[in-house]
Amino acid sequence: MHEMSLVQGLLGQLQTLATQHNKTKVISVTMEIGPFSGVVIDSFQFGFDILAKEEMLTKDAELKIISPTASYRCCGCAKQIKSEQRPESCPNCSETFFSPEGSDDLILLQVEME
Amino acid sequence: MCDACGCDLKPEEHSHDSKIIEVHQSLFAANTAMAKKNRAHFDKMGAVVINMISSPGSGKTTLLEKTIEAIGDTIRIGVIEGDIETERDAERIRKKGVPVIQLTTGGACHLDAAQIHKGIHLLEREEGGTELDLLFIENVGNLVCPATFDLGEHHRLVMVSVPEGPDKPGKYPKAFHSSQLFIISKTDLLPYFDFLVEDATRDALQLNPDLQVMDLSATSGEGMEQWLAYLKKVCGK
Repeated sequence: MHEMSLVQGLLGQLQTLATQHNKTKVISVTMEIGPFSGVVIDSFQFGFDILAKEEMLTKDAELKIISPTASYRCCGCAKQIKSEQRPESCPNCSETFFSPEGSDDLILLQVEME
Repeated sequence: MCDACGCDLKPEEHSHDSKIIEVHQSLFAANTAMAKKNRAHFDKMGAVVINMISSPGSGKTTLLEKTIEAIGDTIRIGVIEGDIETERDAERIRKKGVPVIQLTTGGACHLDAAQIHKGIHLLEREEGGTELDLLFIENVGNLVCPATFDLGEHHRLVMVSVPEGPDKPGKYPKAFHSSQLFIISKTDLLPYFDFLVEDATRDALQLNPDLQVMDLSATSGEGMEQWLAYLKKVCGK
């Protein structure tokens, strides 16, 4: 459950942004969670629901999550396969080895505040 | 008092107009920046740093004990131990006569770069702690969370012991994606478990074709020579 500590980091960043922009209420937060970030989306949402309520600034904030699909590059024919799960074998050449491609980052894209 | 939101600020001190702020900043940014500082510090020390990630009980500390015994004085080793509680692992390593410090996370399931930064300075106060060729960071026993946090290491090692079963690479892909070396430990127990080294190796390589794979038993000594050769190579000895 490292998602809790990541949510704490996010809330700290929101406080800083609110102070910088002279705002007191977060309406929505948009996050991009990379397919190889090691972050479980449900756990992140759960952590946000619990911790955001504790602060005046974020108690009504909505969390929007963008989660791009992973892709896998076949080590045999270099075909790119978009898939949530690692494919069993390449539909093109039956190779079973793949290089995963996709972000391993967790990015705060946008905040709407008033 | 502000009429719109009921806060203590005067109306002119803040507005209620909604505003969209484009941020585009990684939540890992603070950790990554600190990891970069740690890496620069390690490079200045001249120490190669290996971050060890595995489940609890897969034999990280035992492998370190046997490694220190086998290497002797040829490579100067230091260790940063990470655990949720207790000094037990550091005490085991200290008995082997190398500089070691224990970081206790007090509940957190992983080490982060800021803790390691503190750890380096604590280690430098130990005898021999400033002159190291090789520094091991034994992460908190957990195959999930430590994989997400760069500590500034040069090499990342993921370890699975025979009793845990060969299905770990598939279940915990991030640890295998982000590592350079995969060790299958406790191979002396292979006769008693349904564990095929080839299956675990194949699954790990399917996730990360660049992974180097070794199997060994720190207790019996079987396979230790390839591990020791790897350490000498990364240290340029």
